[in-house]
Amino acid sequence: MTQRGHVLDDSWYLDYAAGTLGTEAQDVMMASHVELSDEARGRVAALEMLGGAMLDASDSGEAPLGFRVEDILRRAGDEPDAAVTAAAPAPDADDSLCLPQALQDYLARTGTPVRWGFLGPGMRKAILWRGEHGERLWLLRARPGVAIPHHGHNGSELTLVLKGSFWDGDQEYRPGDVEEAHPGVEHDIRIGEGGECICLALTEGKLKFESPVLRAFQVFTGL
Amino acid sequence: MTHDTDRRRSISDAARLAGLLEQVGEKRDAQAFRALFDHFAPRIRSFLMKRRVSAALADDLTQDVMLAIWRRASSFDAARASAATWIYTIARNAHIDHYRKAVRARKIDEHDPHFQPPDQPLPDDLYERAEAGQSVTGALSGLPDDQRLVLELAFTEGLSHSEIAERLDLPLGTVKSRVRLAMNKMRQGLGEWK
Repeated sequence: MTQRGHVLDDSWYLDYAAGTLGTEAQDVMMASHVELSDEARGRVAALEMLGGAMLDASDSGEAPLGFRVEDILRRAGDEPDAAVTAAAPAPDADDSLCLPQALQDYLARTGTPVRWGFLGPGMRKAILWRGEHGERLWLLRARPGVAIPHHGHNGSELTLVLKGSFWDGDQEYRPGDVEEAHPGVEHDIRIGEGGECICLALTEGKLKFESPVLRAFQVFTGL
Repeated sequence: MTHDTDRRRSISDAARLAGLLEQVGEKRDAQAFRALFDHFAPRIRSFLMKRRVSAALADDLTQDVMLAIWRRASSFDAARASAATWIYTIARNAHIDHYRKAVRARKIDEHDPHFQPPDQPLPDDLYERAEAGQSVTGALSGLPDDQRLVLELAFTEGLSHSEIAERLDLPLGTVKSRVRLAMNKMRQGLGEWK
């Protein structure tokens, strides 16, 4: 599954591997994609090797450290291991959603519930996060065969398939695949016939529907 | 000193560090941990400081990273990553986690000048630092200067690709295509990367 369009531009993997993504929602989106896609994992692994080599090559600095190795070993004995105690399930742990671990961890860490709301016929949405500049991280849950009418985007949108599949024209997107939609590009989406489809989407700016009815509809759906 | 001698030394050094990490994981070997500490703690701190972290916070985060290394060493798999790569990901994540928590708590402004680089090393300096790296930097050093600089800025200074475009005063598309070309070349240079 290395067809063009099913992975992202390399600059996304670089920002993820270097730890320089702009928002927490981008972290969650990329970590989920990397978790589900072998191709993405391979790209990131190679970049992380580079990060390791650069860490190793980084000079040790002139100033002495403000702590000693004994301080670390003492803390290891005294402090509980937060990583072990914090392994609580997400508030709405629901296995049928097939949420990747990175997303479940985020929901648990921030106490974000998954509340499904109406999006359109056969479609539901759950908004997980809103950014300061109108960005939204959300889940889309759609019945097999549902068509999402012709629309464009005011900003870019990443859509990661978690379960099921969707088609954009003659391209099929399966679990782990991401579609990046750029502003100005219009497309028709059709959910695959194989079963329910769940996607994680990160949207910047509102969707632009051609139909005035659908545009009016947006007021209620919040997208 | 020939390039080959350098290369052999850095490879045996990498094997030694991986061995130490395995000893910590398998036997909670404090002696092995001390050797890892001596090698990595100063590097982690200086790495964080290049990413615009204050000296005091860099000390705190470095301690957290070293503690995590002690606790999670048993999950290190030498077949999957080098010690430096494994530790790099822990340090990177510790830095992001701290930063995101602070943003969530509204304690910091993302555009605060404190998060801007204090100085801008000359490109030559960056290249020298890369030369000192391990086998991966062999693939890196085969890249044209403009592509290598983009990867250097991302990892050593923690700049996103759009910040790199600003820093180098280049269109975003130019930076993206340099990243793409560099990664294609590295992919060939590293042979396999699955």
